[in-house]
Amino acid sequence: MKELIYLFHDVFPALMSGLWISIQLIIPSVIFGASMGIIAGTLSVYGHPLLKVASKTYVTIFRGFPLLVQLYIWYFGLPRIGIYFSPMAAAIIGFSLCSGAYQSEYVRGALLSIKKGQLLAAHALGFSRTKTLLSVILPQALRRALPGCGNEIIYLIKYSSLAYMVTCIELTGKGKILASASLKYTEIFMIVGAIYLVLVSVASLLLNRMETWLSVPGFEQHRA
Amino acid sequence: MTMGQTILRVENIHKELGGKAILNGVSLSVRKGEIKVLIGPSGAGKSTFLQSINFLVMPDQGRVWLEEKPINPTDKKALYEYRQQVGMIFQDFNLFDHLTALANVEIGLIRVKGMKKNVARGRAMDELERVGLKNQVLQYPAQLSGGQKQRVSIARALAMDPKVMLLDEPTSALDPELIGEVHSVIRDLAIRGMTMLMVTHQIRFARSLASEIVFMENGRILEKGPPEKMLSDAECSRTREFCSKINEMSGHLC
Repeated sequence: MKELIYLFHDVFPALMSGLWISIQLIIPSVIFGASMGIIAGTLSVYGHPLLKVASKTYVTIFRGFPLLVQLYIWYFGLPRIGIYFSPMAAAIIGFSLCSGAYQSEYVRGALLSIKKGQLLAAHALGFSRTKTLLSVILPQALRRALPGCGNEIIYLIKYSSLAYMVTCIELTGKGKILASASLKYTEIFMIVGAIYLVLVSVASLLLNRMETWLSVPGFEQHRA
Repeated sequence: MTMGQTILRVENIHKELGGKAILNGVSLSVRKGEIKVLIGPSGAGKSTFLQSINFLVMPDQGRVWLEEKPINPTDKKALYEYRQQVGMIFQDFNLFDHLTALANVEIGLIRVKGMKKNVARGRAMDELERVGLKNQVLQYPAQLSGGQKQRVSIARALAMDPKVMLLDEPTSALDPELIGEVHSVIRDLAIRGMTMLMVTHQIRFARSLASEIVFMENGRILEKGPPEKMLSDAECSRTREFCSKINEMSGHLC
């Protein structure tokens, strides 16, 4: 009985508020991360040589530094040079840039898989480079990149748990506080883990829906 | 047939790729309503030549005029404007794979010509009907046969109201059974007076349509002339040899 009261009175409200913070971290990070991925991936294939170098450098750094180190730099490091971010902003920036770096590689691969004839046909009709990219190349490439990028979004949901290391107390952070107070580590973290599992399941359901919705004959993902 | 003004004039096109000269000063002009057919062995530079006419391949040297107006390919806006007036048909169709037949024809009208969607739709429907694909407008390229794909690509080019069409082996990727439907669409274009420059080895087809046959080898035009002369009694021995070979082949096919 005491346990149940603790569960419903303390654990659930705390975890739900943590979950809400997590969602506030994840959604913008997914949006900015995917946008960064598309932009960096596109520039690395079709950009001006200088922009190609810039995008390669971005990917190298943000895939190379551990995410936690990146978060520490955004939150603890930059104030040294007078740049201050709130914990949540620092976490969103860190997640977006890191996720974008990974996603850009899926986008790049997908862009390279588009046949050159598509480009020629668009140019022959009088499309400019930018219009070709926006109307012909990207709509095809993004369909191909979606499964990979979706995978990256699933990762992002889980590495959002690092936000509490820069004092943004989201789901994992709330769990940690509860667990240290009650010493019920196993129980609390089992619940926390299960909530992430639900989040990930919902996300993969949505991603699957999106794949089906965007699927076009000739571009279907051939599911076994 | 009386021929009108010169629509397309190309002079002294040179192109080197990977240190190898692909085009060695090719010049050609096409007058209104004229149909010129380019033939020649593979590697002769026919495709590169067609693609350098609308600067899909940037020639190292050479000039192009459309209706006697010189084209400056470094002026992007002028280049895009020019390409709209030169329809191009590719050997492997190059339909936009993510779009339906209808959207393939519409997209240029909407994105390049800035037409309103409903106007573009009407025009696209007309063009698809003309190539006999009224019932396939909502199918995706993956659902169409090769012949149907090529007809969509012809409709897509025609919708832009080109002044001249460049056709790069329009039927060579097709099953023999599907060639006929594409030929009849092209023949229909010819009847309507479309100016065309076409690479093809369908020699009977060429003979029946062409005002002139042009023989190319090693990046040069070796000989040109009316089809009857070129195909039976060419002056250059190399042309004769090539023509007798493809004549023989078409004898088997048709």
